[in-house]
Amino acid sequence: MLSAQERAQITQVWDLIAGHEAQFGAELLLRLFTVYPSTKGYFPHLSACQDAAQLLSHGQRMLAAVGAAVQHMDNLRAALSPLADLHALVLRVDPANFPLLIQCFQVVLASHLQAEFTVEMQAAWDKFLTGVAVVLTEKYR
Amino acid sequence: MGQIPGCKPGLEPQAQALRPDIMVHFTAEEKAAITSLWGKMNVEEAGGEALGRLLVVYPWTQRFFDNFGNLSSPSAILGNPKVKAHGKKVLTSFGDAIKNMDNLKTTFAKLSELHCDKLHVDPENFRLLGNVLVIILATHFGKEFTPEVQAAWQKLVSAVAIALGHKYH
Repeated sequence: MLSAQERAQITQVWDLIAGHEAQFGAELLLRLFTVYPSTKGYFPHLSACQDAAQLLSHGQRMLAAVGAAVQHMDNLRAALSPLADLHALVLRVDPANFPLLIQCFQVVLASHLQAEFTVEMQAAWDKFLTGVAVVLTEKYR
Repeated sequence: MGQIPGCKPGLEPQAQALRPDIMVHFTAEEKAAITSLWGKMNVEEAGGEALGRLLVVYPWTQRFFDNFGNLSSPSAILGNPKVKAHGKKVLTSFGDAIKNMDNLKTTFAKLSELHCDKLHVDPENFRLLGNVLVIILATHFGKEFTPEVQAAWQKLVSAVAIALGHKYH
């Protein structure tokens, strides 16, 4: 459950990302593939050539989903149900990978916001993204 | 003895397991990325911040610090003198890792025993602290903390966590 302060932290940070989903998502994916090369196997179309346009396009898609999660923080299950189905039936990303993506997400935030990336923001986003990951993997079995 | 994938040629697997020096290998570029950032860090401040953020973001880690006094809020935690002092101690020890990147298991053997036998710290906590440290580096260094630099540091914190868990029994 997210407190009122946590929700405020989440929307405050999202307002900084909104409009830049593609660049944020592309950097996120680039960090993921560089730091955790085993994750590349889940993105065969992307990671072979790491074409900038493709990274931007897929990054945009991923961050748009995060944006949807932000809009529906109080009802993630309903809002993310189609994505949960996709992950359970088609993508089947091992749940151990979500913390890796979350770490890279935090690093993108931290490297751009720097001193403005407060501990409260870090705590709220870590909790929020972990909740999103739980919902996305909930239908796996 | 036939060659087994992953084994150092000429050494049987049992012998290799006893060799603490056969460890994670850091390339010259990785070492440079690590030492150059380390040289620019205020270890005392960063240590306090790393430990403080760990205790805030993952509040269950406070279980090891019941005698640290006021941990009631993020600002209380980050301002707590015992947190700062202990964070400094932890990160200073991390500096030993950086001087001995090719020999982490031996470097941390005693500390590993301490964390197991006396402190009873779940090694998962080393992983969490390492990740928090990487995030703090990102806040300090911004664009300079490129994916490649992040990769080198994640490799280091992961290797330190493994070394610290190595003597657990």
